[in-house]
Amino acid sequence: MEFYLSLLTLFGFRILLGLSAYVVILTGQISLAQAGFYALGAYTAGAASSMWGWPIFPAILLGGLVGGLFGLLVGFPALRVRGLFLVIATLAFTEIVRMVFLNLKYTIRVGDRTIGPAAAEGFRGITYYFQNGWSSLQIVAFTWFFVLVVLLAFWLMDRSRAGAVLRAVGEDELAASSVGINLTAAKVAAMTAGGFVAGLAGALYAHYATYVSQEDFGVLLATFAIAYALIGGTGSVLGPIAGVLFFSLLIDGLRFLGDWRNLLFGVLIVAMMNLRPHGIIDVGLVRRVASLLRPGGRKAYAGD
Amino acid sequence: MTDLVLDVVQQLLNGFLFGSSYALIGIGFTMIFGVMDKLNLAFAVTGLAGAYTGLLVFHLTGGPFVVVFLTAVVSAGLIGLVMELACFRWMPRDYPLASLMATMGMLFFIDEVFSHVTHGRPMAFPAPMGQVVMDVGPWLLRGDFGFMFLVSLAVMGALWALVYKTRLGLATRAVSQQPVAAQLCGIRLRRVNAAVFVITGMIGGVAGALIGSAVGNLSPLLSLPLTVKGLVTAVLGGLGSIPGAIVAGLLLGIVEYEALFFFGIGYRDMVTYLLLFAFLVFRPGGLFGQSRH
Repeated sequence: MEFYLSLLTLFGFRILLGLSAYVVILTGQISLAQAGFYALGAYTAGAASSMWGWPIFPAILLGGLVGGLFGLLVGFPALRVRGLFLVIATLAFTEIVRMVFLNLKYTIRVGDRTIGPAAAEGFRGITYYFQNGWSSLQIVAFTWFFVLVVLLAFWLMDRSRAGAVLRAVGEDELAASSVGINLTAAKVAAMTAGGFVAGLAGALYAHYATYVSQEDFGVLLATFAIAYALIGGTGSVLGPIAGVLFFSLLIDGLRFLGDWRNLLFGVLIVAMMNLRPHGIIDVGLVRRVASLLRPGGRKAYAGD
Repeated sequence: MTDLVLDVVQQLLNGFLFGSSYALIGIGFTMIFGVMDKLNLAFAVTGLAGAYTGLLVFHLTGGPFVVVFLTAVVSAGLIGLVMELACFRWMPRDYPLASLMATMGMLFFIDEVFSHVTHGRPMAFPAPMGQVVMDVGPWLLRGDFGFMFLVSLAVMGALWALVYKTRLGLATRAVSQQPVAAQLCGIRLRRVNAAVFVITGMIGGVAGALIGSAVGNLSPLLSLPLTVKGLVTAVLGGLGSIPGAIVAGLLLGIVEYEALFFFGIGYRDMVTYLLLFAFLVFRPGGLFGQSRH
């Protein structure tokens, strides 16, 4: 049971991370900065709860806000660069954040323990859950509270004007700007929202892991963030969930293969992209399902 | 001359020479982007995979360096072709993200093959120059760095001849300027793309073998840093520009070695990334780029 609970908690972080990449991808941009936001959220929230004695809820929110603030800051200069240049610029951001934490030393004494980011040794002692005697079930519920709130918010956004604006920018910038959409606002908003969600994910992760280190927040994590969204598909908010399930089932389901598992992993990504280049849940699938669900929809679809 | 000046010039020399390998990897990224408008994240590992194949031949036959080197180049060319087939040929042309993700999968896959076969341990790579060091005035010139530079120069010369003196080169340039117009002129897009992947793969193989012999070993730990440095080089030079990649590679080598000397290993990469970030913000087209993206 404990095993499944912690797996469910891990799914929560991954889904949040995937969603943070998803909202940026909607505007047609690829950002590798999500790992940087995640790291900032983890360190800030960890410091807030374990060093400054904040209660847990504001501490997690602070992690999200710091992620969002940096999303805003990265979003603006990133507007000057587009497409693949943005991939590289955001990669640089993630690596710079990682190196700042590799060199940051800021510790305090609490009782007989030293707590805080200790440069290369990482940040130990983010033990709020443990000190307050939280059970695994409580941790799962707390994590999934945030996951569900973000999912709901994105679901509503997708059905509103804001979602249409983001998708319009992603489909065709020229067409979007010629119908009066403010490209700058749309892209910076997406980046800020993505930063906030990634910051939340990092903050929750730090409290679950109790120890974080800059090594965990590298290019690989950033890659996984966009992989969840791209493999899962960007047709609906369920896409990143499908992506997380795909990867998690591969990682844990292929364990019987031993060492060969990791080899198959890369091959399956390549195969998957050849079979469904727009991801598992792409726009076409969403339309088909939607028309099937509408009353008399099957006929309408057949008549298309 | 003060010691400081001596040291700075020494690092300048080392960085300049070692930067030639970054230039080769940058050329690969930039050429593929030029013809396909898509990024091949698995390019640096293609070169490394070639170098590993060369190493395999070395362990099987104990052959001379030339054989190892040629094996690396040829096999990297073939692996380049596999990349084209697996990650580009059947992908939707107007959706670059699918190829991006597929090449990422390839990066994971090849990296895992290295780890699997070598059990994650670094493997010694033969060095043609041994530990030769030459004196140039008050400075030292490492033989393997000099060798790297000369070979890279030769590869760049050959590439220049290929791109500007052959029909294939003409076709390549046409495709990178206007794919549709090139196709209308009777250029077979797929054949040109495949050729570019084989050629860049071979260049990657040269870079992989040179880095292997200069560093002294190959390890899976090289995959990600080389990928990142290749990307940085391609972007600094202006994506799609071969001369840009060469200048940017040499510049990156110099910046890295000077940063290593002044700030130490912990801050070396940070200086590189700050330079990159500044470039992207203030000169987004890169050194030689036209701002078409």
